[in-house]
Amino acid sequence: MKRLYYGLGKKQFWEYLLFIVFMLFFYGPLLNMVLLSFAGKYEYPDVIPQSYGLKWWDYVLSKAQLVQSISTSLILAIVVTLVSLIVCLPAAYALARFQFKGRSLVRLSFLLTNAFPKMGIYTAMTVIFYKLDLVGTFAGVVLVHLVNTMMFMVWIPSGSFRTVHIQQEESARDVGASPLRTFFSITLPMAKPGIIVAALYTFLGSMEEAQGSLLIGLPAIHTMPSELYGIIMSFPETAGSVFAIILLVPSIILLIIFRKYLSAEALSNGMKM
Amino acid sequence: MINQKVRPWLPWLMVLPAFSIMLFVVILPIFNTVFKSFHNTSGELTLENYTYFFGSAEAFQSLIFTAIVALAVMILSVVLSFLLALYLRFSKSWISRLLGKLYLLPRFIPGIAAVYAVMNVIKDSGTINRVSMSLGVDFKPGLLYDIKGIILCNLWFSIPFAAMMMSAALSAVNDSYIESARDVGSSWGSILTKIILPLTYKDIIVSATFVLMGQIGAFTIPYLTGPNNPKMLGILLYQQAATYMDYERAAALSVLIFLLCLGGAIVYIRANMRDEVWERGK
Repeated sequence: MKRLYYGLGKKQFWEYLLFIVFMLFFYGPLLNMVLLSFAGKYEYPDVIPQSYGLKWWDYVLSKAQLVQSISTSLILAIVVTLVSLIVCLPAAYALARFQFKGRSLVRLSFLLTNAFPKMGIYTAMTVIFYKLDLVGTFAGVVLVHLVNTMMFMVWIPSGSFRTVHIQQEESARDVGASPLRTFFSITLPMAKPGIIVAALYTFLGSMEEAQGSLLIGLPAIHTMPSELYGIIMSFPETAGSVFAIILLVPSIILLIIFRKYLSAEALSNGMKM
Repeated sequence: MINQKVRPWLPWLMVLPAFSIMLFVVILPIFNTVFKSFHNTSGELTLENYTYFFGSAEAFQSLIFTAIVALAVMILSVVLSFLLALYLRFSKSWISRLLGKLYLLPRFIPGIAAVYAVMNVIKDSGTINRVSMSLGVDFKPGLLYDIKGIILCNLWFSIPFAAMMMSAALSAVNDSYIESARDVGSSWGSILTKIILPLTYKDIIVSATFVLMGQIGAFTIPYLTGPNNPKMLGILLYQQAATYMDYERAAALSVLIFLLCLGGAIVYIRANMRDEVWERGK
């Protein structure tokens, strides 16, 4: 240890140490889960599996309800993202561009709801949805997911629209573009990075939502996270890891595709007013 | 900002769809909850649901437990993430650049899957224990189903989150400020307190409030990794609603948790609203 300390130099030593601690804490558990999911023989006290195979993948993929929850979750996340885009972008634009009565009230209502405990909202929703026959329906679960995701979809794009200079829209209008054409060929492309970040948050927010889906969705709608609750309690860790990894895959793919839009600045935009 | 004279109804029309969904899925349930919390099962007006919690030792324990967890997570994640963000901002080594990409990932991992991954490492028969066995000692970490487990899992999410907010703030600190301070002989300590902190303290407050507010009503992490007793407030709420089916008490507890969060929300709004002298007119 001492030799390493002096060999690398003081600064380098601490830097390597930080790197190792960081990787162990944040990536160690994930890597461990990947290893467990491909385990063949994994007995106490093996640190890593003794042999590898796809036996637990076969096991998980043979359960019809789990397989169905995968497609349910993906379709749900896509629908929730599209609905949020269609519904929230006009609102985001209006909040960014127009001064109107009630503007600060709208802004505040989007913010304050974030302070109310989600479990309380879900319980009250269940009672209301029950009367409206929305419990156990796909539409009901979409609405539950919107509780969590709407704030992102209004906030972040609103910030991006504000950075588009009004003169650019005006000059497009001056040469005869219609308001819609101006929006789609000038404003929207310039605000795209923010909208992509918001859409990613929405998609992932829908993919990970569990309590609301449990309360509103059951008995008919099973999503991956709500199934994972049961799996954590009752399945061996090898089978649980397989399912948890299936849940991770869409997020990782999206991250890789959109990586150039994801900087600390872009991602933290939506957290401020 | 346009003052729309031609079609004054246009902004309302654009906000309407989003706002009406909001009204239906959030505001209506909240009003419903507040209303219900002041009534008993037969519909009479009462404060019983609130007095129940004020008189209950279990609820008081939960409150204290939640406060300890929330404050511990907040302090640890703010300090650690500030250090991480400073390192990412000011070190130019390849490790710093690599970590600058890697630290964003946890933000996008579905919470329950990541909690499960951490659980498999820290549980008493998990990886830590197995590694210690291979070294010849039977070390049981005792982290899972304990307050330490809740805090540890929360840090997995909140450090990257807070570090991200602070990195964004630190990117506004110009290299030239630091260099000129160095040129006139300032120490790193005074650069930190006189230049970096004044430029970033707002974002530190905002991220701290977010972390704190997220803890108060939290459910997933304490449910999966916390002890049976004492419980965090989010679990207590779940129990009232799902186990005891006592919706009126659950409603009252929701309102109480909301009031606690409101304190955080006020700090957040004030930190955001306070314009510095040099920022006015921007």
